[in-house]
Amino acid sequence: MKHLKAINNKAQLLSQAVADDSVEEVVAMSSLAGCTATTDPGWEIDAFGGVTSLCQPMEADLYGCADPCWWPAQVPDMMNTYPDWNKDAMNSKDDWRNLGTVFPKDKN
Amino acid sequence: MDMTIEGGRTLNTIKTLKPLGGSLLALSVALATQNAQAASDAEAIIQNNCLACHTQEGEQAWSRISHQRKTPEGWLMTIARMQVMHGLQISDEDRRTLVKYLADRQGLAPSETEGARYALERRLNTSESFDSQAFTEMCARCHSGARVKLQRRPASEWEHLVHFHLGQWPTTEFQALARDRDWLELALNEMVPELAQTLPMDSNAWNDWQQQPEAPVAGSWTLAGHMPGKGMFHARMEVEPVSGEDQYALSLNGQYEDGTSLRGDGQAVVYTGYEWRANIEIDGQVMRQVFALQDGQLSGRMFLRDKDEVGADVVAARDVSGKSEILALQPAYIKAGTEAEISIVGTGLKGLPVLGSGVDVVEVISESPDLIRVRARAAKDASGVMVPSVGQAEGGRFAVYDRIDRVKVVPEFAVARIGGNGSSTPRVEARFEAEAWAAGADGQSGTADDYRIGFVPATWSVAPFDAVAEADRDVHFAGRMNSNTGVFTPAAAGPNPERRMMTNNAGNLKVQARVQDGLQTFNAEGQMIVTVQRWNNPPIP
Repeated sequence: MKHLKAINNKAQLLSQAVADDSVEEVVAMSSLAGCTATTDPGWEIDAFGGVTSLCQPMEADLYGCADPCWWPAQVPDMMNTYPDWNKDAMNSKDDWRNLGTVFPKDKN
Repeated sequence: MDMTIEGGRTLNTIKTLKPLGGSLLALSVALATQNAQAASDAEAIIQNNCLACHTQEGEQAWSRISHQRKTPEGWLMTIARMQVMHGLQISDEDRRTLVKYLADRQGLAPSETEGARYALERRLNTSESFDSQAFTEMCARCHSGARVKLQRRPASEWEHLVHFHLGQWPTTEFQALARDRDWLELALNEMVPELAQTLPMDSNAWNDWQQQPEAPVAGSWTLAGHMPGKGMFHARMEVEPVSGEDQYALSLNGQYEDGTSLRGDGQAVVYTGYEWRANIEIDGQVMRQVFALQDGQLSGRMFLRDKDEVGADVVAARDVSGKSEILALQPAYIKAGTEAEISIVGTGLKGLPVLGSGVDVVEVISESPDLIRVRARAAKDASGVMVPSVGQAEGGRFAVYDRIDRVKVVPEFAVARIGGNGSSTPRVEARFEAEAWAAGADGQSGTADDYRIGFVPATWSVAPFDAVAEADRDVHFAGRMNSNTGVFTPAAAGPNPERRMMTNNAGNLKVQARVQDGLQTFNAEGQMIVTVQRWNNPPIP
């Protein structure tokens, strides 16, 4: 970080977290069963243990992350496993309601 | 998820064996027991559906399939993955037959699931922590660590799993804790040996478990439970065998402490000799039971199948002639110097109820073998954790306290998820309880003699967790807390035009409980993240 200078709020938060050595603490807190501990960016929780540094609204950038399977255990990856997941929701801002869960349940 | 198998076993046998011709049909006549028939069904399904990719290695052995052990949910996820990723076409009925066959023959011993059952029981606010930092960073980074801990494989199979992950999700190597080091080298040369050693295919626990005699299930059971946001309940459950291997019909009849009934019928399957899975329809909703059958008791969690954060901790015992057992006391505490009505829930209860030193049973209000209701009075100087008894039966836990020392919010950290709003993804609530503790005989807080009193009534509220949450008005947007029940209902899914940058109704909130004990007020805090939907939601998170 010594060659980079924080110029906006998010960057200053990051510098502060590194300076306080609190990043690992945050990662530990976010390890609820089923939530991803990947926080660069995170899905449920950001690197600071909150939600303000998530890519939100997530609909704005959903496919930028679902396509390269950034959180494949939470969001269906469209690179290999669920290429058609968003076929009825090409415009995620307007069509997000058409996105469905993917585990194949019994049909009865 | 519904893995129960209903009738029609005979028809199914004929259907699945038919394409294989006369010799197998003739063989099936010789299969005397239902179990053998079910096995033959499953093997025929494997022959017909799996061998386009898997290879036969022996009479009942197939590549990959025969070299792993898993829970019923683990096998279900494997077969579902074959459907999603490899185009496997399989009927629901055949899938259930396979799950049963594989979980029975290649399951986990009860001891091998210890410490990871929260994942099967859908306790998704469990904070995971593992001794191995490498395991935490490698496996539990994307999904629960329990998903791995509930499998057993030899090194060669763990190695296949590494390659599968990288092939299916190539960006695995680009994320933090991967791009900064040689991920594949670590995965293959450090993680695989660690997994093969700690989660091995061959184990004494599994070998011993397979020698155990089958535990009886059919009969009448008493259940004692507790559901956050709703309260305690007790129930009777009648279990009758029906056609099919380890299949049962159930009827549940009970009552919550607030007087509402808990009544329904359903079906259960016992996998691996102890993994009890049932679906019961109650008031038009399916409740799922994920219990382990051990030492004559069933214990685990019962939850709404389609809204699994709504659930209860349950323990149950079967009526056995001449056996008497206490399951729970409801409520399981009393304040010194006061009187209260206490229910003792159990089986075969007979005799005088004794709640413990300094606690008098003033009146027996009602009495039956599975439920005794008493009016009890605790002396002013009574204190401590008692083990009650009824006649010959000793058990349960009963706390007597003079004053609350402190209160904790349970769970201390929780996740709720926005949902609904015309989408197919329901909101995921968060449910909190206030757990009271006593300081023990020394009166000092935080010492070894402190004891848990139990869940006590509280008044609930939420507040911004930090300055950012306050500035973003998270309390206003993220949802509503029910001040009486501690149930938080998150807000609607979707971009919210009223919020800055149209952000979602996510939030970072303090969860506040206020508990009154006489003249004293206790405040406790937890944290809740209200976050976005989860669309990939298999049985093991």
